[in-house]
Amino acid sequence: MKILIVDDDPFVGEMAAAILACDGHDCRIVEGGVEALETLASETFELVISDMNMPLMSGLALFAELRERACAIPFILLTGDDPEPLRAEAPGLADCLMKDATLEDSLPKAVARL
Amino acid sequence: MALDISKFIQRFVDEAREHISRLELGLGGLGSDPLSERDGIDALFRSAHTIKGSARMLKLTSIAETAHHLEDVLGALRDGKIQPDPELAAVLMRAVDSICCLLDQLASAGAAALPAHPDQALCDSLARAARGEQVETAPASPPPDGDPSDASTEATPSPAAATAATAVTAPGIRSPDSVRVRMDKLDALVKLMGELSSNQARLRHQLGMARALDASATQLAACADEPTAELARTLHTFTQELRDLTLTQERLVGELSDRALGMRMLPLSLVFDPVTRVARELGRSLDKEIQTEVSGGEIELDRHIIDRFSDALVHLLRNAIDHGIEPAEQRSAAGKPRLGRVRLAARQEGGTVLVTLSDDGRGLDRDAIIQKALKMGLIDESTSLRLDDAQVADLLFQPGFSTSAIITELSGRGVGMDVVKRAITEDLQGSVTIASRPGIGTTLTLMLPLSLALMRVLLFESAGQCFGLGAPHIHELLRTRRAETIQVAGRPAVVRRNELVPLIPLAELLDLPSVIPSSTPQHHEGADATLLVIIIGVRQAKLGLVVDTLIDERDMVLKPLPAHLRTAGGLVGGMVVTGSNTLISLLHAPALLDAARRLRGESIAAAAQTVAHTQTTQHILVVDDSLNTREIEKEVLEASGYRVTLAEDGLDAWQKALGGRFDAILTDIEMPRLDGFSLTAKLRETERYRTTPIVILTSRQTQEDKQRGIQVGADAYIVKGDFDQSSLVQTLRNLLG
Repeated sequence: MKILIVDDDPFVGEMAAAILACDGHDCRIVEGGVEALETLASETFELVISDMNMPLMSGLALFAELRERACAIPFILLTGDDPEPLRAEAPGLADCLMKDATLEDSLPKAVARL
Repeated sequence: MALDISKFIQRFVDEAREHISRLELGLGGLGSDPLSERDGIDALFRSAHTIKGSARMLKLTSIAETAHHLEDVLGALRDGKIQPDPELAAVLMRAVDSICCLLDQLASAGAAALPAHPDQALCDSLARAARGEQVETAPASPPPDGDPSDASTEATPSPAAATAATAVTAPGIRSPDSVRVRMDKLDALVKLMGELSSNQARLRHQLGMARALDASATQLAACADEPTAELARTLHTFTQELRDLTLTQERLVGELSDRALGMRMLPLSLVFDPVTRVARELGRSLDKEIQTEVSGGEIELDRHIIDRFSDALVHLLRNAIDHGIEPAEQRSAAGKPRLGRVRLAARQEGGTVLVTLSDDGRGLDRDAIIQKALKMGLIDESTSLRLDDAQVADLLFQPGFSTSAIITELSGRGVGMDVVKRAITEDLQGSVTIASRPGIGTTLTLMLPLSLALMRVLLFESAGQCFGLGAPHIHELLRTRRAETIQVAGRPAVVRRNELVPLIPLAELLDLPSVIPSSTPQHHEGADATLLVIIIGVRQAKLGLVVDTLIDERDMVLKPLPAHLRTAGGLVGGMVVTGSNTLISLLHAPALLDAARRLRGESIAAAAQTVAHTQTTQHILVVDDSLNTREIEKEVLEASGYRVTLAEDGLDAWQKALGGRFDAILTDIEMPRLDGFSLTAKLRETERYRTTPIVILTSRQTQEDKQRGIQVGADAYIVKGDFDQSSLVQTLRNLLG
């Protein structure tokens, strides 16, 4: 699957990419919401995985902006805090995952469910 | 799951350590500067946040938790919920130290060596601090430096982890990664480096000699006895080894020299940053509001250049604010913002750095400058009419020149623009140019070399003597046939990329005694003879020097001239030493350009004198976006007794044409903003220029272009390649009747 990963911390972005690469996914990492929008405008992806807490544009704002632009691409949100309130706030999310060591297990599962 | 976490651990340690040093630095200054506090704390908050996030991904709970508490306190500080005080700073610093210790353990013993839980006492203190409660000054549990009480707070302390922790974290002093070195020691190193480079040139020269010896010996050996042949073979092997050694040495010396020079480089921001403050203070003392913009401070230059450059820069800044920026009332009256703007920018271009200082003030006052120059006897009445804007601006650099009506304390009495120019061009081997638009502002452009110690030098020969020129001033090298040059105002010129570049034999410019021509082909005087041309340029002004042969191109150590040999405007800027230990004069390009301009000026003045009496002066507008072409066309026309006004593109010409009355217009085609075809068409639509002769002068020579020129209403079409003085002047005479 061709996946766009959005995270302002390149460390986390690359780790998520490494986790998914083990399952044979093709990942591209960008460092912010604006860059993500530009990349999505010029290239086709099958899934966006974005961090929640980023400067300028949060992951949720990016999600809203994509839907605003009538882009229906599946969207997984990663957060450092409790994912439940976010799931409730944005029911259109494919998933919302806790950004910690469990990601190694939860992320591939969430992608497989799509 | 085959993900290898270990490779991420090392990266995490490196990145987290960077954040830790940022936190250490930031927390050190906590509370000292309330103005920049908010931004500063936000950056610290993000550092803690990043450490937390990454640590969680790697399941490094103790680090993640400590960072999490640290983040909470910094968040509360940022949002103004709590205020910084020494106790708070101490507890934050303890948190940073704790993370730092954990990182050290992680780096040396891996993730398994980390305690499963953070220092609980510390976390409690941080949590209390975040809530705004009083933090106790004496920590309940000492900083986690391997103290046994630390381990007691752990739920399941594994013995192995505990020993590892004690082992690596005991004395916490990290050795510093930099040392301070006195400038004079560095200078001595760089000087020695220069000598080593010079010596390397001599070694290279000796290698050449050895090769020549080797070649003759091999020849000799072919018809000689065995012992001689044996000797020749040994000599050959010796030469080969000497060659390898020299090449390796050359590479090493080059690298060593780069490193040594690099040590003395400092960022321009050292000079740029204080400028903002100086500008504000100056503005305040003059009752002007000034806003400064600075960019390019990250570019690095030799410390010696920075030192000498900073005085000149401050002086130029004073000039800009004192003479350039108008008082606020005048600005409002002219429809400009009251706030005067000064921009300082630097960028790197090849081996040089360009620094521009621009203001949005009143620009140069052409009339005031000319009046002052006349009064000082720098120019006479007739010259004053012929000066173009660049030449007028150049007058500012004449010794003792200042245009302000009242010489104030601020404009730096005694230190004029001439001193600035001398500092930049002679001491620093750079150049300075000034451009200005009335009412809009003035821009000064300074070109500086990156380093003074070593310079890329081109060596060449003219009239039997060897000279050098610094690479920053060399625009291009060119071989051209004499038949391809054109005559302009009685002097040869070449056309390069739609631009006329005047040529002058270097020997003539330097007034060298002519030598008996050697047998090299370029000395033939016929039309087929090839000319070797070095085109030098200072900003837009260019000049082609005709020389005899090129000799070498090398990084060389520049030796300044001794004080008694230095003269203002001297053609020699310094000396270089070659491999054969001879001294070679390094020519100073800006001085060469000035000298050539003077030479051409004299011949034009002489020609103009003879014509001027017989003819009423007709006024011609010359339009070309190339400075050189404009200048040359101007010279040609002035030599024939015409008065000339210059315009730098179609729009400029259009405005000038509407503002004045011209007897003829001479225009290029390709120009920014408005091209020659459109200009011609527009002019033809006006009443005033319906029948005025318009001549198109261009390097475009297709039939289509000519057709188009005639269509839009031009009277003549001259191709620059065919262009010579007489055809242009003849065409104009015919058209003007």
